[in-house]
Amino acid sequence: MLALPVANLLHHKLRSFLCAAAVGIGVAMMVVQLSLSHGMLDEVADRMQSVDAELIVLPENTSVIFSGGAMFSDKYRDIIESEQLDGTPLARKAIPVFLDTIRLGGQQQRMFGIDPADMVAFLGHRALEAGALFEGGREFKRHTERLRGSGKRYDPEAVAPAVLGRGCELVIDTRLARAGAYDVGDTTTIYDHEFTIVGIVESGVAGRVFAPIHTMRHILNGGVPWSSMFFVKLADPSRAEEAADALAARLHTKVELKDSYGRLLADSFHQVYLYINIASAVALVVCFLFVMLTMYTLILQRTREIGILKSLGASRRYLLGIAVAESVLICLGGTVFGIGLSYLARWVIEWLMPLATVHIEARWLAAAVVVGLVGGAASALYPGYRAARLDPAVALAYE
Amino acid sequence: MSQPILRAEGICKDYRDGDRVCRVLRDVQLAVERGEFVAVMGPSGCGKTTLLNVLGLMFPPTEAGCLRLDGTDCLTLADRQRNALRREKIGFVFQRFNLLGAISAAGNIRLAMRLKGVETDGQVDELLDRVELGGLGHRKPGRLSVGEQQRVAIARAVACRPAVLLADEPTGNLDSANARNILDLFRRIHDEDGLTVVMITHNPQCAAAADRVMHMADGRLVDG
Repeated sequence: MLALPVANLLHHKLRSFLCAAAVGIGVAMMVVQLSLSHGMLDEVADRMQSVDAELIVLPENTSVIFSGGAMFSDKYRDIIESEQLDGTPLARKAIPVFLDTIRLGGQQQRMFGIDPADMVAFLGHRALEAGALFEGGREFKRHTERLRGSGKRYDPEAVAPAVLGRGCELVIDTRLARAGAYDVGDTTTIYDHEFTIVGIVESGVAGRVFAPIHTMRHILNGGVPWSSMFFVKLADPSRAEEAADALAARLHTKVELKDSYGRLLADSFHQVYLYINIASAVALVVCFLFVMLTMYTLILQRTREIGILKSLGASRRYLLGIAVAESVLICLGGTVFGIGLSYLARWVIEWLMPLATVHIEARWLAAAVVVGLVGGAASALYPGYRAARLDPAVALAYE
Repeated sequence: MSQPILRAEGICKDYRDGDRVCRVLRDVQLAVERGEFVAVMGPSGCGKTTLLNVLGLMFPPTEAGCLRLDGTDCLTLADRQRNALRREKIGFVFQRFNLLGAISAAGNIRLAMRLKGVETDGQVDELLDRVELGGLGHRKPGRLSVGEQQRVAIARAVACRPAVLLADEPTGNLDSANARNILDLFRRIHDEDGLTVVMITHNPQCAAAADRVMHMADGRLVDG
């Protein structure tokens, strides 16, 4: 049964290639669309998972994406660290983060203001690729703590520019370094202050840009020790849900499991996801129509050959089988081509836009194979059936 | 006396073009005896090919009193049965050869045999030798001359030992030398196998190869 379809495909190499390419383009369009849109968001969620903590404390009624600025005073940190669960301390550590949005590497970035001492919780097993981790930031932290400990009101104006300058440090990840061609020692202006890139860490850490939290508080919040959110490292990670409930009740704010950040992100991006899903569905339908149109044209061109086979006495089932087999072979080839094209597109996109993440998942590839094969078979059925029903004399007259 | 292998009575065929109806065959009566070599002659447009298509079950007549092939009443058959009868009893040779270009000469013959469920072992080469194409079976039709292509078409048509061989202007696309060779081949196959042949032609020299010549004009067989 396959010999004739294979021979047909090899006989019309250019036509077969063009048909397969048409299917492949449709498949690649769908795979890249899904992989890019989901990849970008999933990458953010994955990065958040890398933090060595179990809970996230967020302002009530605020999206995880759009939260930032000074939302929690340092008293929240004290409460978190003093909270008990069944008589034992609930948290080992509360890690404050001051979030803000800056422009770096040609696009907007969420800058994570963190205590230099907490950097280890964010770094995990990832390597420091170049430079150091906030030497100046630590100095500036000590300086601000001395000022606060002196009993006087913290006056930002009293901090000498040179002292603040030591605290204006950035640690970025390798992808941002590549995207912006940044190296250790490079400077950039943020909040009208010159920040120096002092370290480059392996990508996969929660933020692409880190700065000392004391510096950010000093510049953005007059030195008042407030934070945008907290990561909480629990004493007993196995009781994360209980701890989250207890903290939420105590703080009257949103406390989420870190593992549910992906869901929170999805909630925040509900409309975006809706758009992505609709666009993906449209891409899928377009891909399917692409396959159908290609196959329909192909089978129509085969009508005369079907007439020849009918004149030889070929049954309708045989003819339909030939049409479907040929179509499925083309679609299979096209799907493989499309998957290859998707990987090529990923390489091109990530080369042109190093911060874009095209995550080609097995489920998108499976969807592509299903669309290709089902589309191929289904789209050959109608024209194949129609051609097989023609009287042989009519089919033979078809040009 | 034996029954004719092919008998048609009152055959009419209309073509529709919107509201316009064109009657191409008008009350055609025809009987072909087993083993006969018949030529149907007539000018272009007189309905010869339409008649051959009706006789070959390539489409149904619009009206018919009788259409029997080797004892089978073809008018009562469903499409599937007509296909089967065509496969079992009829071999076609077309003016335009109608070979499948994607497969070799031998592949075209083999395909026809496989469709009928006939064993192909050794027979394809034998058939190619018979039509003097030994050694060329691996070539695709596009790599053969028109005369060679028609020989392949003839080999394919007789491969399954049909009851009737229907040929529609088999020399229409050939030069005179090739046409003569093809007619000799038809004659030889007819004589050696006792095959019934119905050949459509507008060429009197081709018709001369037949045992009996029928003439057609304006959709009617006017003699024979």
